[in-house]
Amino acid sequence: MKQCIIFAAILFFGLFSQAQVCTNTVNGHVEDADTKEKLIGATIQILELNKETTSTANGDFVFDNICEGNYSLIISHVGCVTVTQKLTIKKSVHVEIFLPHQKGTLNTVTVTSTKATTTSGFKKELSGKLLEQTKGLTISEALSKINGVTLLQTGSTVSKPIIHGLHSSRILTINNGVRQEGQQWGNEHAPEIDPFIADKLTVIKGVDELKYGSDAIGGVILVEPKALRTTAGFAAELNTVYFSNNRQYVVSGMYEQQLKAIPALSFRVQGTYKKGANSATPNYRLNNTGSTENNFSLTSGYKKNNFSSELFYSRFDTKLGIFKGSHIGNITDLKAAIAANKPNDVFLGEDTYAIGRPYQAVTHNLIKSKTIVETKNGDKISFLLSAQFNNRSEFDIVRSSRNTSPQLSLDIRTYAEELVWEKHKKNNFVGTAGASFVQQNNTYAGRYFIPNYNLYSYGGYYVEKWQKNKWELQGGIRYDYKNIQTNRLKFNGTVIDYGFNFSTLASSINAIYKPNTNWRTNIAASLASRAPQVNELLSDGIHHGTATYELGDIFLETEKAINIGAGITYQNDEKTFTAEVNVYNNNINNFIFRQPIPNEPVLTIAGAFPKIIYNQTNAVLRGIDVSTTTTIAKQVDVNIKYSMLRATNKNINDWLILMPADRVSAELNYTFKNNHFFHDSYIATEVQYVFEQTRVPSDKNGLQDYKAPPGAYTIVNLNASTILHFKNFPITFAVGARNLFNTAYRDYLDGFRYFTDETGRNLFVRLKFSLTHSK
Amino acid sequence: MKDNLLNFGAFLLLYATFFTSCKKVTVVEDNDNEVITTLLVRLTATTGGAFVDFKFDDPDGPGGAAPTIDQINLAPNKTYNAQIILLNKTATPVDTSSIQVKEENIAHRFYFETTIGTNLTISNLDKDDDGISLGLLSTWTTGAASTGKIGITLRHYDGIPPNKAEADLISSSKSSTDLTTASIGDFSVNIQ
Repeated sequence: MKQCIIFAAILFFGLFSQAQVCTNTVNGHVEDADTKEKLIGATIQILELNKETTSTANGDFVFDNICEGNYSLIISHVGCVTVTQKLTIKKSVHVEIFLPHQKGTLNTVTVTSTKATTTSGFKKELSGKLLEQTKGLTISEALSKINGVTLLQTGSTVSKPIIHGLHSSRILTINNGVRQEGQQWGNEHAPEIDPFIADKLTVIKGVDELKYGSDAIGGVILVEPKALRTTAGFAAELNTVYFSNNRQYVVSGMYEQQLKAIPALSFRVQGTYKKGANSATPNYRLNNTGSTENNFSLTSGYKKNNFSSELFYSRFDTKLGIFKGSHIGNITDLKAAIAANKPNDVFLGEDTYAIGRPYQAVTHNLIKSKTIVETKNGDKISFLLSAQFNNRSEFDIVRSSRNTSPQLSLDIRTYAEELVWEKHKKNNFVGTAGASFVQQNNTYAGRYFIPNYNLYSYGGYYVEKWQKNKWELQGGIRYDYKNIQTNRLKFNGTVIDYGFNFSTLASSINAIYKPNTNWRTNIAASLASRAPQVNELLSDGIHHGTATYELGDIFLETEKAINIGAGITYQNDEKTFTAEVNVYNNNINNFIFRQPIPNEPVLTIAGAFPKIIYNQTNAVLRGIDVSTTTTIAKQVDVNIKYSMLRATNKNINDWLILMPADRVSAELNYTFKNNHFFHDSYIATEVQYVFEQTRVPSDKNGLQDYKAPPGAYTIVNLNASTILHFKNFPITFAVGARNLFNTAYRDYLDGFRYFTDETGRNLFVRLKFSLTHSK
Repeated sequence: MKDNLLNFGAFLLLYATFFTSCKKVTVVEDNDNEVITTLLVRLTATTGGAFVDFKFDDPDGPGGAAPTIDQINLAPNKTYNAQIILLNKTATPVDTSSIQVKEENIAHRFYFETTIGTNLTISNLDKDDDGISLGLLSTWTTGAASTGKIGITLRHYDGIPPNKAEADLISSSKSSTDLTTASIGDFSVNIQ
């Protein structure tokens, strides 16, 4: 699915004819908004008159003898979002309708995509119905709906996405066109983005990665908002979600408008408020696991002739409680906590919204301006400016309750400029060239985690795409140069300053072959290089929570990954069966990882801490993702997803630590027929089975982990939703459950697996009110 | 097009203002205010005389140079008043962390553990506001000449309320370790 925009162009004709009562004709044309295909068999309904018709082979429809008045036109088609359009009839009218896709599965995307400029070798999307199901969850939890994406968690409040086994700085997150520069260092640093901004979440790999950086070894996540209105009028949306487990409520509102008086100007305001109390596992409630979130964004766009400009501001502000029982003084405490099958009762049982120490407070501000000028020959030149201000404050458990200051505060400021030249399509070729400059500055206060630093990065890329008939070929190259100056002035006057320079090169090629409408195949090869991050170079201190002493290494070299991937998609003519298989082999030289050194504990006054150093090895991550959708009976679909990964440390011929276990899920989806009041109604049950991770590093060179991975688990989720149409006022009503059977389980990729079970049954109710007014 | 350029200029201007705020910073490290670098055992014989300090000292905090630890030399068959003083030498001026322990006495507790054969008894621990053992002050009584070890551990109760109880063991999961001498083999005790 491309943009979820409803281009509702209403063209009047017969301007000079006299208005006559009840002799008007409404005729129109329905097209797929993405593929521009004419849609056959779309249902068009005039709500007030209870009249209904279907579109012809050319996508045309007609209603005769319509009286003057105000009507609601409801247009629906299998696999598309139902569109409601307000219509004022004074004379006969022609209506052009573009229906966006509903399901955000890759299957529909790749089969229908025809634009060479936007398709990529590996691309998975979450939008429409599937994205809607995730409203109220964090952006990482939403992304984990995509096959091949898993979660790295620190309890119920902190989660970050893993793509094919890789996370943190190996993944680039692009928030509305801007590379997110926050605190992505640690496993407990979640992305600072309001998921309600997104109209679409996309994971891409391959050639298009080059537009964002040379270091996207794991892939790129695109967080894309809905495009601004292009027609006069306004729209408003209100989302509310309530979760039973932690009494969490979420309210998110949006208002957008294009003024009739200034048709070039369009704007949107959006905000989200979220508050959750302590969450509960099936057998006990965890104290201090509440969270709050206050987010706000403002977008304005100006478009006139060949010039367009967008100004975007967003603020993300969250406070996340960390379970008190996970505060660990030293290795002895950690071992004791692990040995216990549940935390001490003093850390359990409170049902409150209050958040005490330890907690994290994070704010992220983003200001962006993007200006696009289209030249006479159709080339597009765009200039992007962005500034990001990120603060992360960590409030640890302290001795004195009078202490209100954070124990760690990191302030990171990033300024970026990017100039992109996109050539007009010519002889089936589309080329894009870009240059970027980034300046970043970090300061810290309190506990040492990473030093102060100034970073300058310069980059340039060129991507060329060619498309003809059944073939698409894409290729590109990118180079980045990075200079980092760190400084640390210790309390005793010791100065520890380092300078680093890194050059990174990336390139990618991709070939797509579509022999017919049923099949699509692609094969891609990419080289990506990632310079070591400041924390990998210069960490030096106790890591609470895991009770380890982490030590960076200034001699780390650039990681280089060669990723080869192939994919095949099939859809039958009846569109009752689609299947997709993706395989990948990611060979990473100088792979940076955290290596436990069990025989050299670091002695401190708080006790002995196992040492962990940042080390390099040659690694290979290979895996397969399979998904199928089968219509087994009328209105009944079954979706099956399977994902498998094998990650090896080649130097010592052992497994890599903290890699996602294999998993399989099946979803049974029943879609109800649309009627006068209820549209797009469905009920879906999902069963997810996660295997036990048995492929972990062996302990022959000393203990690598404190606890063996937890066992396999099965959880069942439920989702049901319908859209009620009150005239021109659709209301989405959804209910569901996560972990329906209140299963007690632990997940290998949750840092809290040492201490507690995962969240128990969580029922939710979701309401969405939408209002659209065109004039 | 002229308008466009004007718009563009405005963005650049706006941007320039961001840039001026990006300067190189050199800040002296404001180290973790929770660090304890030094534990002093201040012993004064009940029979009078000057006090003697024995210390467990790690002035650069966790990591870096390893801590140093004194041997505690005591006379046999004698009673001492003991006071525990905690310092954070990474702060300027040096922070006396034991003051915070005294303030938050209901959430803290010292444990003293001697190895078998060490003729040293620790008793009479001072109480917190709830009347439960705290241990900032204590009485050390020696017996016949002997050698051995003593471990000193400070536990912090993280719960609210702390729920500290007299019967709590050193390993209670209600509390976590703030400090322990156990990491480097505890204080050696020489009674002669």
